[in-house]
Amino acid sequence: MTQAFLIVLKILLTALVAFWAYRLWIRTASWTSRGVGMFLSALLIWQIIAERFGTI
Amino acid sequence: MRGFKTLLWLEHRRSWVWAVSLFASLAFWAWGIKQVLVLDIASRAGIRSGLLGIAAAIGLLVLAIMIGRFRGETRNGQYQVMLLSPPSGYSHILARFVYAATVAAIYYVTIAFLYWWIAELAGIHFDAVTLIELILGLPLYGLALIAFPLMAWVLLLMVVVSSYRLSGSGWIPGTIMVFGSGVAFGELGEAISRIAYSLPGWRIFRHAPGALIERFGPLDPEVSTELSQVMYQGVPIEPVLVMLAVTALMLFLAGRIWQEVEA
Repeated sequence: MTQAFLIVLKILLTALVAFWAYRLWIRTASWTSRGVGMFLSALLIWQIIAERFGTI
Repeated sequence: MRGFKTLLWLEHRRSWVWAVSLFASLAFWAWGIKQVLVLDIASRAGIRSGLLGIAAAIGLLVLAIMIGRFRGETRNGQYQVMLLSPPSGYSHILARFVYAATVAAIYYVTIAFLYWWIAELAGIHFDAVTLIELILGLPLYGLALIAFPLMAWVLLLMVVVSSYRLSGSGWIPGTIMVFGSGVAFGELGEAISRIAYSLPGWRIFRHAPGALIERFGPLDPEVSTELSQVMYQGVPIEPVLVMLAVTALMLFLAGRIWQEVEA
């Protein structure tokens, strides 16, 4: 039950961050802003999927 | 160069109230130090040092707010002067950072002077080398390790958020920056701890135990052994080098975003 809940939570969080990353990509004229946004979003998604959140 | 000086002057015009308030707050902390009248010398010095620690932490917060005041300036129209002026985005960012870094350096060197005062009040008399390390070395180490990266990060945060302002609110880039940077700095911290002491450490305060022994007599053998180990090892240089590089990178990114958005 807990494991299933965590998986659903991870999927939802990943979807949320991915949606934010999409918004960050389309809503600026600055490529550097896009780069910073994508890098940090990727870090967050990596943490959600592979690292800390799963071990709580 | 002249343009940069003008930017610094503009920066001073915008932020002098913050800077002066920060410096004036030190008078309050100095007064607070004199109010600590606990009988035990060690406790008194400890409480006084703690007060200065609080002053240092509050100063960091004030500096971060001072350097990151973009939104209020946009509303008040001050920012228009900057946006419409000929100097590049890099100059704008650098001027803002240099001004805040100078204020921070003065503030933390003064706090270090207050630490010296506390030591003198406790009857601890440091030698010249230790004094220079305390008044200049320690503040600069702390600035390079914590204050400069924090201020550069706040600048980058505000510039990234501003680059999305025309197309909507900045809470999404702000949220991603705050949480993403938390992860990034966590990983960076782990990497730094792995490479720490690859270079010889900086043996700061190696003469300080002498002054303590002179004041309080021979130390407990266990404490003495631990202290000598710490003194022999010194503080690592790598974190400072890495954080200075990260500061430069964040300033470069902020300047580049400014250029792109303005263009």
